[in-house]
Amino acid sequence: MTLTATGFDWVRQLVHRESAIVLAPGKEYLVEARLLPIARQLGLPDVGRFVDSVRTRPSPESTRRIVEALTTNETSWFRDGDPFTALTSTVLPALLAARNPGERLQIWSAACSSGQEAYTIAMLLQDAMPDAGSRVSITATDISREMVERTRAGRFSQLEVNRGLPAPMLVRHFSRVGTEWEVTPTLRRMVTASECNLAAPLPRMGPFDVVYLRNVLIYFDLPTKQAILRRVRALMRPDGWLFLGAAETTLGVDDCWERVVIGRSSAYRPLKGA
Amino acid sequence: MRALVIDDSRAMRRIVSGTLEGFGYETRQAGHGQEALDVLHEGWLPELCTIDWNMPVMDGLQFVSAVRANPGWRAVTLMMVTSEGEQSQIVRALAAGAHEYVLKPFTADAIRDKLALLGLLPQEVAL
Amino acid sequence: MTAPVITQLLDEATVQEIADQAWSALVGEDEVLVPVPGELGPDTRSSWVEIVGPWSGTVVLTCDRDTAEELTRALLREHAPAELEPEDVDDALGELANVVGGNVKAVLPGPSFLGLPEVGPAPRVTSPADTCRVDALWRGRPLTISVQGTPAPDADPAPSYENGVPL
Repeated sequence: MTLTATGFDWVRQLVHRESAIVLAPGKEYLVEARLLPIARQLGLPDVGRFVDSVRTRPSPESTRRIVEALTTNETSWFRDGDPFTALTSTVLPALLAARNPGERLQIWSAACSSGQEAYTIAMLLQDAMPDAGSRVSITATDISREMVERTRAGRFSQLEVNRGLPAPMLVRHFSRVGTEWEVTPTLRRMVTASECNLAAPLPRMGPFDVVYLRNVLIYFDLPTKQAILRRVRALMRPDGWLFLGAAETTLGVDDCWERVVIGRSSAYRPLKGA
Repeated sequence: MRALVIDDSRAMRRIVSGTLEGFGYETRQAGHGQEALDVLHEGWLPELCTIDWNMPVMDGLQFVSAVRANPGWRAVTLMMVTSEGEQSQIVRALAAGAHEYVLKPFTADAIRDKLALLGLLPQEVAL
Repeated sequence: MTAPVITQLLDEATVQEIADQAWSALVGEDEVLVPVPGELGPDTRSSWVEIVGPWSGTVVLTCDRDTAEELTRALLREHAPAELEPEDVDDALGELANVVGGNVKAVLPGPSFLGLPEVGPAPRVTSPADTCRVDALWRGRPLTISVQGTPAPDADPAPSYENGVPL
């Protein structure tokens, strides 16, 4: 165990603040195991050293990776399924009615990690409309080059496909390649992955009809949150839809959005004239 | 909620039962399909069965078919938990009437996520 | 037509990867198999499952008896009984062989069938050329996973005791 009591306590508070998940005392081994790959990747010898370095110089990227490694829903496919249900029940029909048949729908999965969200969207659309492959483009971005490459590859370990992916979708949209599972070429063609730092000026993309920006804002301070929301809005169609994480809101951050309740989740839409 | 954990390995039965009990389930165990059918015939109808594939006496696939053939057991959700990992096997199990499929090895998180998908997670459970 | 040998279908890295996933998911999140060979003691225990298909053989897990007990405790975690019975250890070891074996089967050409786990002294390797073996250390203790072919019935069987008896 390389993690000090102070280090563990810091991680515990961080995770609680950002995700409301409680890491009980005795979970030190879990923190060690989950953070070791990140520490190694950064060239640090152990988790203790890694946590100390983030603790003394916190950065949104490092804290996000710590929380992601320790909270489990980010790596799961459909666990927080409400924003996906909203896509097929409400958002997609509205968009199809508003757009010309020749127009491509553009969807952005921001902070896509290893691509589960982007491919979840692709699977849902493929199941909902047979011509999804030619009508929809999904842009998946992440700050980490490794994550972008993983998204591009569209390959997932058995432990990953075990996490919240309905078995009928697994057999319909994946094929087994050795010990891994690979999404079908049709889905891979729908998804374009690239590097993108949300906290800096964004590359030219879009305009997007739908943006999934889930569990990202929580890691930034207020001015950065405001800047990100402003930049995202500039890349959206005026009648577009933004999905945030369940614990996130534009309320009190940026008043240029209208909150719309869809079933058990909510979406945010650019306010007209704002 | 109630769950019947069917596996010929008692270690695996203990692990799956312990995980489900952690989510608030009341559990019973069976070492093969026939033993599990006996439990159902006895009138102990669970919301969930977790089912290993390869077992002596009656395997998991035969058990799934038997449960599906009885209209009185329609409300029981059937989740395979097995090391049979070929795509064709998953297709076979779903065709026979299984609702979900967990590949061994699995973590407690994987069970929890599948239960959440199935609407069978009684309480929100932290890490 | 000759049946394929395992080394044409599977390499050590794949077996190691399958075992790593089984260990991290079932034995414990921070449990790793270090791919370093170690010396097994005199008192070992093995568990295995049979695969029958285009390739037929056995997936065998072997470790020292006290390693098997420690593995059982790790596998059962808080669900472990205070006193482990020998059946608990055999059962846990058998289930690990089943999990590794099932995943090995899934990367081999199909259709193949998986047998029920068995436990005992290690089945001997009949064809070293048709064997893919991983030696590893778990918590510093040696264990081996061997994917070993069964000679086809028509292929020059080593005489067993029964048919060695002259008629």
